[in-house]
Amino acid sequence: MSTLNMAFRSLGRRRLRMGLTVSGIVVGVTVMFILLSLISGMDVQVRGMVRTLGGADITVSNATTRGPDNLGGPGNGMFLNATRTLPESLTQTIDKILGVYAISPQLEFNAYVGGNRVTVIGIDPATYSEVTGGLNVVSGSSISNNEKYKIVLGKAVADSLAATIGESVTVGTTLTDGEPFTVVGIFETGTSFQEYTCYIPLEDAQTITNQEGLVTEILVKCEDPNDVSSVSSAISASIPNVRVTSQTLMVSQQSQMLNTLTMFFTALGLVAIFAGSFGVANTMLMSVSESTREIGTLKAIGARNSRIMGIFLTEALLIGSIGGGIGVIVGVVLSYVFPNLTRGIFGFMPFGGGFGGGTTLPTIAPTITLLNIVLCFSLGTLVGVLAGFYPAWRAARMKPVEAFRHV
Amino acid sequence: MSEITVKTIELTKVYTRGKVEVPALNDVNLQIPRGEIVCIVGPSGSGKTTLLNLICGFDKPTHGRVLINDVDLTMLDDKELADFRLLTIGFIFQFYNLIPTLTALENVEIPLDLAKVSKKERQNRALDLLKIVGLETRADHKPDELSGGEQQRVAIARALANNPSVILADEPTGDLDSKSAMMFMELVKTLNKSPDYNQTFVIVTHDPLVVHECTKAFTIRDGRIERELSKEEIDSEHLHTGIVF
Repeated sequence: MSTLNMAFRSLGRRRLRMGLTVSGIVVGVTVMFILLSLISGMDVQVRGMVRTLGGADITVSNATTRGPDNLGGPGNGMFLNATRTLPESLTQTIDKILGVYAISPQLEFNAYVGGNRVTVIGIDPATYSEVTGGLNVVSGSSISNNEKYKIVLGKAVADSLAATIGESVTVGTTLTDGEPFTVVGIFETGTSFQEYTCYIPLEDAQTITNQEGLVTEILVKCEDPNDVSSVSSAISASIPNVRVTSQTLMVSQQSQMLNTLTMFFTALGLVAIFAGSFGVANTMLMSVSESTREIGTLKAIGARNSRIMGIFLTEALLIGSIGGGIGVIVGVVLSYVFPNLTRGIFGFMPFGGGFGGGTTLPTIAPTITLLNIVLCFSLGTLVGVLAGFYPAWRAARMKPVEAFRHV
Repeated sequence: MSEITVKTIELTKVYTRGKVEVPALNDVNLQIPRGEIVCIVGPSGSGKTTLLNLICGFDKPTHGRVLINDVDLTMLDDKELADFRLLTIGFIFQFYNLIPTLTALENVEIPLDLAKVSKKERQNRALDLLKIVGLETRADHKPDELSGGEQQRVAIARALANNPSVILADEPTGDLDSKSAMMFMELVKTLNKSPDYNQTFVIVTHDPLVVHECTKAFTIRDGRIERELSKEEIDSEHLHTGIVF
């Protein structure tokens, strides 16, 4: 009769109680797993986003909140992502800085494309690919130099509009006006949030927004990636009131944010699992109490304290591991369901509708990793064992004569 | 090995209830020869069970010593005591104390498993023991599927598992009808006489039927061994616990 077998039989005798106790662990582990998967999902998404923001090493934007460069005039402010612009001529200043390899200005704003409100970015086709590595065009082509009124749609936009290459779509800052643009390509990033974006020539963007000679960002590529920090400092020193950000800085900021989130979510999950541990401890104490006669008998027969402790610890371990296992399975299932669930919840705000005439909702897709599976399962098991330790110790310390006296 | 299997020297046990000391055993000196079936008889509260608990090391004496096969149990720590009980002492309880989740066979296997006997060997041995007690056909039955007499026979098989030199029994027929009690004692006598087993039995009882089948009997009263019954008293048809005491 192995210890495991005896523990199994003992649990089988109290199925309902064991089921309820396991449920406590399942809830804790599931919550923990989903939270960790969400964090992993966010991590993947943020890293992907930063990576596909363009291969630019440095992004220069306006750091002032108000001023003559501000585009926040009536009717414009709500359409610009950053209501601050820079003179396009600053590219010449930046170009003179040592270590700068290439420069590409862009103007980012919100506009109606085919009646749907999305982010539109005006780019300089001549320099954009050189600085960022270009768009991942999966159908058609990118915008060529000197082309006008051509547009590359993000896959999500193209799907929403059911647009195909060669079709014409209207791009305007209001629903009622706009210029016709020919769709020349469709790009993918793998991140749905970024695919609610369209690219047009910079000059056309400046015309539509009446911002001739202005841009929202200047993307910079360095000759040597190791010089990003020194080039950033040089730009900051030579041009006042600009915000200079690099991917390294963004990744570091995102990592910091994710670390904070991870700590918060982990604490939440631990609280949930900790609550479950009380159930295990209670069940095990009751099990020890109800098994007093059996404990006394086994000791009378010649079982050592370690054997008795082993039986009850195994029982607690089984509760923990079963709870951990089921919790992970439920967590995996719910992690798959979760993105659909969020879409369902926000379904009343469809693409192209909702607030302000339209909105783009990024969905956080939880990412299931082997590390999270192992971590959550182990945590459930560990909590079971720790919660069962005191009851097991009590059982082991019980003297046969006391055990028989209490029967 | 000494001809005395169980020996108690000035064995005393005093329980403390709050500030009150309650003597349960007082200076008990007992010698039980090897190969005997010995019973200890006495009224309730006379100290029979306390004596048995001390003999098998379930409890520590306040004073005195217990020797089994010349080993002083009072000198052993918990681990040594557990190992000693496993291999040297078999125990039979009034209410059988079988593990309810295990089958008869598995119950008999427990002491063998604790003694780290291989799975195949312990299964064979447990089955042989169930044959000896006449329950081989009930091997796969759980305790609640067996009668009281059958459960007590499984308990005997379990007590015999590691072939201990002494078997202690606390009111073993207390929960059995007279027919089952008779069968139990027949089995005890058979095992006692068997060259393969030849255990010494120490039985605490107030059942005259059990006393008749014993080779020696001691009376106990107020925590002291009163006297040893003569052969005539043991065999007497008029033996009654009330008369004896």
